[in-house]
Amino acid sequence: MMHADDLIARAREGDTVAQGKLMQAWYKRIYNFGYKFFFDHDLAMEVAQKTFIAMHRNISQLQQDSSFRPWLYTIAVNCCREELRRRKNSRAVSLHDLRPVDEEQSQVWEIAVNREDNPERKLRQSELADLLHNCLLQLSEEQREVVVMKEYEGLKFREIADALSISENTVKSRMYYGLEAMKRMLERRKITIETIGYEG
Amino acid sequence: MKDKPDESTLIAYHYGELEGEELAKIEAWLKQHPEEEQRLAEWKDARMIFQSLGDKEVIAPPILIGDNHRPFWKEGYVRMSLGIAASLLVVMVAARLMGLNASYSTGEMRIGFGATTPPGTTLSEEQVAGMIRKSLEQNNTMILAAWNEDRKTLEDNIRKNVLANSERIDQLVRNVSTGQQEQIREFVAQLHSDNLSRMQDYLQLSNQNQKEYVETLLVDFSKYLEDQRRQDLQQVSTTLTSIQQNNDQFRKDTEQILTSLINTGRSEGQRSAQ
Repeated sequence: MMHADDLIARAREGDTVAQGKLMQAWYKRIYNFGYKFFFDHDLAMEVAQKTFIAMHRNISQLQQDSSFRPWLYTIAVNCCREELRRRKNSRAVSLHDLRPVDEEQSQVWEIAVNREDNPERKLRQSELADLLHNCLLQLSEEQREVVVMKEYEGLKFREIADALSISENTVKSRMYYGLEAMKRMLERRKITIETIGYEG
Repeated sequence: MKDKPDESTLIAYHYGELEGEELAKIEAWLKQHPEEEQRLAEWKDARMIFQSLGDKEVIAPPILIGDNHRPFWKEGYVRMSLGIAASLLVVMVAARLMGLNASYSTGEMRIGFGATTPPGTTLSEEQVAGMIRKSLEQNNTMILAAWNEDRKTLEDNIRKNVLANSERIDQLVRNVSTGQQEQIREFVAQLHSDNLSRMQDYLQLSNQNQKEYVETLLVDFSKYLEDQRRQDLQQVSTTLTSIQQNNDQFRKDTEQILTSLINTGRSEGQRSAQ
C-alpha cells in the first residue's frame, strides 16, 4: 500500500492510478463537505465529481505535497460557490428538496443503512440531523464554509485560511460568530445535550 | 492578562490552537472570569450537539481516467486538416460522378452537368424574347378560356343551389308554421281543461269549508247562550237569598223591639201599683 505522500507525489507526476486512489480516499470527505454545505445529496454528488475532475486536470500544478488537503478543499469550496451562483440564477428546484424527510429510497444503493438500529431512535436521530442541518443552512455562506471545514473536516485555522485565501484572523472571526450563532439557534430550539440524550 | 482577549485568541484557545505564553495568559484570565469560562463551556456543548451530525456513507464512483499522452493524430489541428481534406475529396468524387463541367472562354463562365454544347448553338436575344412572348400569349388565352368556363360552371351551380335551398326553406317554414299552430291549439285546450278542473276543486273545497264554519259558529253561539242563562239564574238566586235574609233580620229586630216595649210597660204598671 502506498503512503499518502507518495500517492500525492505520483499523482502530481500524472500517474492516473495514484489519482484514482486519491479520489477513492477523499471522495467521502468531499461529498460530506458538500452535503453539509447544501444539505442536498444531488448537489453534494455534483460538487464531489467536479472537484475530482478539477483535481485530475490541475494536480500537476500543485506546488507541495503537504498543501494537498487545503488545495483540494479550495477546489471543493469553489465548486460549492459555483453551484450556489447557478442555483441563485436558476429557478429550478432540486428533487431532493421535494423528498419526504424520512429515508430516501432512491439512495439505498449508495448509502449503507444499519438495519440493527432501533427504528424509534433512528427516527429521532434523523429528525435531529434535519434540524441541525437547517441550523447550518441558516449561517451565512462564509460562516458555513469555515464551520464545516473546522467542525466536520477538522482543518486547522491555517489550512482553512489557505483554502479560502483569506487571513487566519478572518477565519477565526468567522468561526467565532458562526459558533455564537449556532449556540443561539440551539438555545432558541431548547436543544441541549440532555434533551438529545447524548451518549458521548 | 488584564484586557479581555480578542475573539480570534478566544476561538484559537477553544480549539486548542494556542501555545506558549498566549496560552498561559488566557488560562490565567479565564480563572479570573468564570462567566467567560462558562461561555466557552456552552460553546463546547453546542459543538458536541452539532458533532452528532455524522458523515453520510457514500461509495465513490468507478474512475475511468484516460492516458494523458494522446497520439499526434488525435490532436485538434491534425483532425481538422484531415476533416477538410476528406470533405474536398467527397466533393470531387461527387462532381466526377454527376458529370459536372466548368469552363471559361471569351468572358463566359459555364457550369453544367453532362455533355457541353458548342458556343455557336445558342439562341439570340430576340429569338428568346419572341419565344417568351408567344408562350405568354398562349398562356393568357388558355387561362382566359379556363376562367370563363369556371365562371359559367360556378354561376350555374350557385343558381341551382339557391333554387334548391329556397324550396327547402319554404317547406321548412311551412312545416314549422303547421307544427306551431297545432302546438298552440293543444296548449290552449290543455290550459282550458286545467283551469276548469282547478275551479271545480276550489268551489267544492270552498262550499265544504263554509258549511263547517257555520256549524262551528252555531255550536259556539248556543254554548254562549247556555252560559249566559246559567249566570243570570245564579244572580237571581243570589238576590232572592239576600231579600230573604233581610226579611228575617227585620222580623227579629221588630220582635225584640216589641218584647222590650212589653217589658217596659209591665214594670211601670208594677211600680205604680206599689
